[in-house]
Amino acid sequence: MTKRRMFLRMITASLLRRRSRMLIALLSIAVGATILSGLVTIYYDVPRQMGAQFRKYGANMLLMPGDGEVLTADKAEAALSLIPEESVLGATPYRYVRLDMALNQQSFTAAGTDFEQVQETSPYFGVEGRYPVPGQREVLVGKEVAQSLNLRLNRQIDLTYQLAAAEGDAAKDWVPGASLSGAAISEFNNQPVFIQATLDEQGNIASLTVDASTQTDIGQQCEQESYTRQFIGKALPLSDADVDTLTGATMTSQAVREALNTARQEGQALSAEEYTKTFTVVGILQTGGEEETYLFLSQEDLEAVTREAGRLDVVELSVTGDAEQLDEYVKAISESGLGVTARLVKRVTKSEASVLTKLQSLVFLVTAVVLILTMICVSTTMMAVVSERRREIGLRKALGASDGSIRAEFLGEGMFLGLLGGVLGAILGFVFAQVVSVNVFGSSILFQWLLLPITVAVCMLIAALSCLLPIKRAIAIDPALVLKGE
Amino acid sequence: MSLLEIKNVSKIYGELKALDNVSIHVDQGEWVAIMGPSGSGKSTMMNIIGCMDKPTMGEVLLDGVDIAKESSKRLTDIRRDKIGLIFQQFHMVNYLTAVENVMVSQYYHSMPDEEEALEALGRVGLRERARHLPSQLSGGEQQRVCVARALINHPELILADEPTGNLDEANENIVLDLFRQLHREGTTLIVVTHDPEVADAAQRTIVLEHGKLVKEVINEHFEA
Repeated sequence: MTKRRMFLRMITASLLRRRSRMLIALLSIAVGATILSGLVTIYYDVPRQMGAQFRKYGANMLLMPGDGEVLTADKAEAALSLIPEESVLGATPYRYVRLDMALNQQSFTAAGTDFEQVQETSPYFGVEGRYPVPGQREVLVGKEVAQSLNLRLNRQIDLTYQLAAAEGDAAKDWVPGASLSGAAISEFNNQPVFIQATLDEQGNIASLTVDASTQTDIGQQCEQESYTRQFIGKALPLSDADVDTLTGATMTSQAVREALNTARQEGQALSAEEYTKTFTVVGILQTGGEEETYLFLSQEDLEAVTREAGRLDVVELSVTGDAEQLDEYVKAISESGLGVTARLVKRVTKSEASVLTKLQSLVFLVTAVVLILTMICVSTTMMAVVSERRREIGLRKALGASDGSIRAEFLGEGMFLGLLGGVLGAILGFVFAQVVSVNVFGSSILFQWLLLPITVAVCMLIAALSCLLPIKRAIAIDPALVLKGE
Repeated sequence: MSLLEIKNVSKIYGELKALDNVSIHVDQGEWVAIMGPSGSGKSTMMNIIGCMDKPTMGEVLLDGVDIAKESSKRLTDIRRDKIGLIFQQFHMVNYLTAVENVMVSQYYHSMPDEEEALEALGRVGLRERARHLPSQLSGGEQQRVCVARALINHPELILADEPTGNLDEANENIVLDLFRQLHREGTTLIVVTHDPEVADAAQRTIVLEHGKLVKEVINEHFEA
């Protein structure tokens, strides 16, 4: 038999045949290991779990058009492909336009979006009724809008697209054939002059029709092509110098110019049939935020009103990952040359990071405290073991055991306990973490195999450290004194 | 040839002179008993010869080496290599079996050898009880295991402290017979005892009183 086998035989015999005492030490190590492996499992799993939790508070990344660019669905998709698919929990496209409500001639901001994705990225949306079904001409109305107009579910409303207001000054972005309509009061008789115009791709006037029926015969000459011709190709707004006034009808001429400018400025869209659609209110939205002043339509329905396809203003993303990863995604998208800018919603990402940091330091602290307690407990037990075994230690020394042998035997016992406790604790810890995860986060976690050797190693180290003081005591035992004891 | 040479040894604990200028010599292969009442300095003598204590003054030559001058680490080595100890209290490792207890001695000395350990147990008549724990053995059996343990490494000197103090007569005789065997094989035996019968079994008896050597008796009836 080799010395090593005898060594192991002595250690295992000591542990197995002196069970009750060793069980306490084993138990304390196992408890320490359980907390250690459990908390570390949670520690590593928490960012993922918390990330999913945080996504309930809204998007944490926005895709927007780059400088001088237009965001389209295709570009957004290309940008999205730069983020690993499994990290994208939701991507909600938004197209914002101003829509007139025929009911009271008020205009509202309307958002065209994908309601399935809305439910992913904005789970906090509270809907009375239901979300609209795409293609069914249904609208979700913000609570404030509903209250101010006294809208109920199932009411029908007519919505009209206001080109200009939606676009603001970005005239060059106007779609080909955009229409304007407007009116201005002629100072001649305080009666309105009406205009209808279309714009070309550059936002210049492509055609102009004037209704000056309230004016004098001379004033009515403004309706004639010979007069309106001069407006074609000119950019809005028009100054006095841009167009000639009609002799004898200065006031009417000015009213035409003013009506165009006002229509341009106020963005009054053509109340043409093709830009008006009838919608049914199927839901009233409550968020406590700005969204309550909006109308929400499916993208498909909004595009039916605006007659544009694939135009987006912003895509709201819910992306998992720590601050560093998110920054990387942002960088990748912004540098991709797609003309898409990505931006983090700092309010969300910052608070997420700070909560995680706090939680992780808490886990770290608790683990450290538990390990220290384990060490104290094991150390105390080993101390008791040493006094209990004074005679045996004395005998071993009398039989020729060196200090090194005594140290090796106690360290061996301690580390063997650490090994057993570590394995036991790693398994129990996983169960513990699983229970916590299921109860707190409502999702299960995977067993981290790497954690098994780490837990065992830490436990063996802790056990070894715990044995240092007891070993010092054991080595100080004088065999002559112990063995003489009657 | 002398194995042990104690020259003018004193051991002083504060005011108390446990040993006072004692000189003893023990030859190779000799069987010596050290007798005396409690407090006579027997145990102190035993501890010094057993390399578990050092004298305050004097020389203790064991196999030519002055153990009074050695470090405690060296003393451990000398004890392990040259001395087999037997105690009154039996002193076994209570969670190891009889054979394992014998092997512990081998383990510290050189290499554990179960066969040899079983043989040693056979010699003390306990081969059948080799797998028993100390708690399953009687006092006499435990002491016989201790004898087996003491002789397993073939020490030059077997040092026994009241080896029969806790034994009945039958077991006392078994142990003394074992000592006779060992003596015949040439092992040097020093037995510390206060029992005249045990002392009578030895070749020579040294009597201590109040730390002084008061008498040395040669046993004329000694039978090898």
